[in-house]
Amino acid sequence: MFGKLTWAAIPFDQPIPLLTSIVMIAVILGILAWITAKKHWHYLWHEWITSVDHKRIGVMYCLLALVMLIRGFADAIMMRTQQAVAFHAPGYLPPEHFDQIFSAHGTIMIFFVAMPFVIGLMNFVVPLQLGVRDVAFPTFNSVSFWLTAAGMLLINLSLFIGEFSQAGWLAYPPLSELRFSPGVGVDYYLWALQISGIGTLLTGINFVTTILKVRAPGMTLTRMPIFCWTALAANLLIVAAFPILTATLGMLLLDRYLDFHFFTITAGGNPMMYLNLIWIWGHPEVYILVLPAFGVYSEVVSTFSGKPLFGYRSMIVATMAICILSFLVWLHHFFTMGAGADVNGFFGIMTMIIAVPTGVKIFNWLFTMWGGRVRFQTPMLWSIGFMVTFVLGGMTGVLLSVPPADFVLHNSLFLIAHFHNVIIGGVVFGLFAGYAYWFPKAFGFKLDERWGKAAFWFWLVGFYVAFMPLYVLGMEGMTRRMQSYDVAEWHPWLIAAAAGSGLILLGIVCQVIQLIVSIRDRERLIDYNGDPWDGRTLEWITGSPPPAYNFPVLPNVSNVEAYWGMKQKALEQRRLTELPDYKPIELPRHSPTGFVTSFFAVITGFALIWHIWWLVILGLVGAFATFVVFAWRDHHEFELPADELARIDAERRKRRIALVEGREPGIRAVKYEEPTEHDPHKIGPRAEPDGGWKGPAAKRIVTGYGFWVFLLSDFILFAGFYAAYAVLSHATAGGPGPKQLFDLHSVAIETACLLLSSFACGLAMIAANVRNMLWTQVGYLLTGILGLGFLSIEISEFAHMLMEGAGPGRSAFLSSFFALVGLHGLHVTVGLLWLGTVMAQFWTKGFRADIMRRGMCFALFWHALDIIWVGIFTNVYLLGTST
Amino acid sequence: MSNDHDPNHDDEWGVDVAPGDEPGEHSVASGVWVYVIGLVLAAILTAASFWVASGTSLLYVAGVPMALAALAIGQMGVHLAFFLHITTGPDNTNNVLALAFGVLIVAIVIGGSLWIMYHLNTNMVMPDMLLDMHKQKG
Repeated sequence: MFGKLTWAAIPFDQPIPLLTSIVMIAVILGILAWITAKKHWHYLWHEWITSVDHKRIGVMYCLLALVMLIRGFADAIMMRTQQAVAFHAPGYLPPEHFDQIFSAHGTIMIFFVAMPFVIGLMNFVVPLQLGVRDVAFPTFNSVSFWLTAAGMLLINLSLFIGEFSQAGWLAYPPLSELRFSPGVGVDYYLWALQISGIGTLLTGINFVTTILKVRAPGMTLTRMPIFCWTALAANLLIVAAFPILTATLGMLLLDRYLDFHFFTITAGGNPMMYLNLIWIWGHPEVYILVLPAFGVYSEVVSTFSGKPLFGYRSMIVATMAICILSFLVWLHHFFTMGAGADVNGFFGIMTMIIAVPTGVKIFNWLFTMWGGRVRFQTPMLWSIGFMVTFVLGGMTGVLLSVPPADFVLHNSLFLIAHFHNVIIGGVVFGLFAGYAYWFPKAFGFKLDERWGKAAFWFWLVGFYVAFMPLYVLGMEGMTRRMQSYDVAEWHPWLIAAAAGSGLILLGIVCQVIQLIVSIRDRERLIDYNGDPWDGRTLEWITGSPPPAYNFPVLPNVSNVEAYWGMKQKALEQRRLTELPDYKPIELPRHSPTGFVTSFFAVITGFALIWHIWWLVILGLVGAFATFVVFAWRDHHEFELPADELARIDAERRKRRIALVEGREPGIRAVKYEEPTEHDPHKIGPRAEPDGGWKGPAAKRIVTGYGFWVFLLSDFILFAGFYAAYAVLSHATAGGPGPKQLFDLHSVAIETACLLLSSFACGLAMIAANVRNMLWTQVGYLLTGILGLGFLSIEISEFAHMLMEGAGPGRSAFLSSFFALVGLHGLHVTVGLLWLGTVMAQFWTKGFRADIMRRGMCFALFWHALDIIWVGIFTNVYLLGTST
Repeated sequence: MSNDHDPNHDDEWGVDVAPGDEPGEHSVASGVWVYVIGLVLAAILTAASFWVASGTSLLYVAGVPMALAALAIGQMGVHLAFFLHITTGPDNTNNVLALAFGVLIVAIVIGGSLWIMYHLNTNMVMPDMLLDMHKQKG
């Protein structure tokens, strides 16, 4: 009934997790009771939980990250204190608990602190900076957030039901395989990351589409704020890298659940392939985190120096160069695993090269400050602290990129010091800078400066005291992840490092106090006019907090610093712009889809971890039903009438009068000339003031492009499985090979079915375009029958192989074959389910524009499955059986 | 968000099409015709692939994988052009750029993995070493 779940899963015999769990449960119950007592549920449900507003979702992401920061930091300080006392002694954490703590610390800090914080800032800021009302797909944005929250919940559940992984934050096999980690810890890790990973992938698709297709009129690509450029690069990396993570973790799950042999040490499995694949995701991940942080520094340094960003175009080139180069360095995470000089040399040099565009950025920020009137407020302090700290971390990185040096230093605390140096000094400082910088925009009042500065200094000094000793310890030969040790020279350095983590703790305490003090003193800290820092980009033109629609009228952009130009003109004329012609606004309706889906995702994940199969089925059916209900809804938007809009906007305009009349302290007119754009391609429509960009694209284009980006991520998912097949296809472990197993006749029939089915789908599309219901349905019906034919042949082929004892458990070759071809079959199955709902929707609702958009996406999906099949039948079947 | 500006704006740079949509106006007959051409070309290329793999003596043995690769890439192109309507026209630039990025990543993932894993497999005498670990455990 309950699978592996028994009372033994609750850690009654371990005081630390038990006490922590009890305290956590008490706090959560307390908060729920408070919400109930104060009758806030209605507000919470309607204004936050079901909200699809990018600003609300952004705030919830940041809140989730801050809460998890405390959890991850608790793990950190436990490790530091353990190592400070564990000299010739067992310390207070037994090894199996210590191993869970370092695994949880890494997993939580990367996936549930850094990622949600970065995504939260992008959510809040990007649509505002682009001058638009929301992201391309607001409801999917909510789904993304709630799936991330579902993953977070599973990770935290592991604390008091069962255990967490002891296999490190990347769960390397063979240790993470069932044979060596038979408990549920690794399963918690895998399912939490798979669920939140889907959310992250949806975010990536959403933001790539938003930035490329949904921008204010005149906002050409080379007029976008740098933060939007870095967000574009980061989201392109998400779309490209997260499918690889999904594929890799999926293979490990198949190994653990269905006796596959991708990474086992028996039957031809290859654990090194896991390292290779996980780092193809892992290195771009570093840049997914740090590029948006670079974007924050660019905005902050420019604003607080009172100057345009130095080298705007070189910044774009550097960002996009990093975006591509970050995919060519992954092997430096396993130089010592045995690749030859060629491979190590190539990846070493690529790693050194990627430091160049990063260096360009550092110089750009320095030159932006040079000659500026620098204001040392909290966001700027974080930025300057970053520049010093990150250069140091970058240099130790270049040192590690030299393979011979890496052979000496790998897996030591030197490495730990290096990546904390770049992630704390680069990512975390940037997130805190962004937090202080955009907080007034989100809530309408600034954060307290005194406590903010105190937090900064504790963090900065604490970072150096905690991590510089780790460089020394690495040089002295101390490896990472040691529960106890007996080398006397290490002891004082570890005590120093523990003291440093204590200073960081004080920094976090200051941040908590800062938040409380700021809320208490919100009248004193009020951001009255929406432009507290004398800002330069579009988010500062609207009110603080911005209204749901962001901008009453989409702004017309004519150069890089859109708002700065408008503000200077207004200050010169000492009056507001003319009253605009308000038009009604359509806003997306709130939706519980995200919350309900991830509720079922938690159920499914938990049931999978504990092998409660009936609950798995229940969860999956629930999630699918939620999507069908969502797809069936008829009203996606509601309208805000023009007079209502005019009434709300009058208040904002009133608040800005003092600003444009030059009566606001710190905001003065400066000598301003409209910047000229030197663009040799400015011919034709590009020479117009709007640069040829007329504003957000039509819905059909936005939807189609978003789905196209999804399909590309799907191709990359297949590339991961295909790479595994290509590497493992000779690992037959003495079992049958392709020549004995594959029957080309049935493959030919399968191919014919799929080709004809694609053709039928094309005909259905043509019929739908001319509004012919009969032929649309006939075309779709043929599509479905042929797809079903393909699927039944494939299933019978699989059943045949299984009965002959040639199942995935037989060899690594067969594992990779079943996974790759089965994944395609799974796509066909999902396609058929989708086809059923599309047919039903055309039938009941007719050729409505939104149904037509879904028909277009389905056709793209179905044709794309053909392309993947061409790759499979050529590489797997034909190449496998040819002589 | 829901800014439905004039989709028939006809300057060269301003207009994009959704992937999968054919640009411009078409009759039903010409639309069907495109799919028919696509189907015929795809069928020919598929048949050619199966014929090459069946061990024809016309091709030198080492040429078989190359021929299969060329035919597969050709057929993927046919599907992209005739079924998904991805063209090289200016209205498709964004779609093609996204596709190019995807193809680049796919190439890096597959090519890089094969190159690296080949080196690792030749340099590391892995099965024995891991079998030893296996024995230690149980």
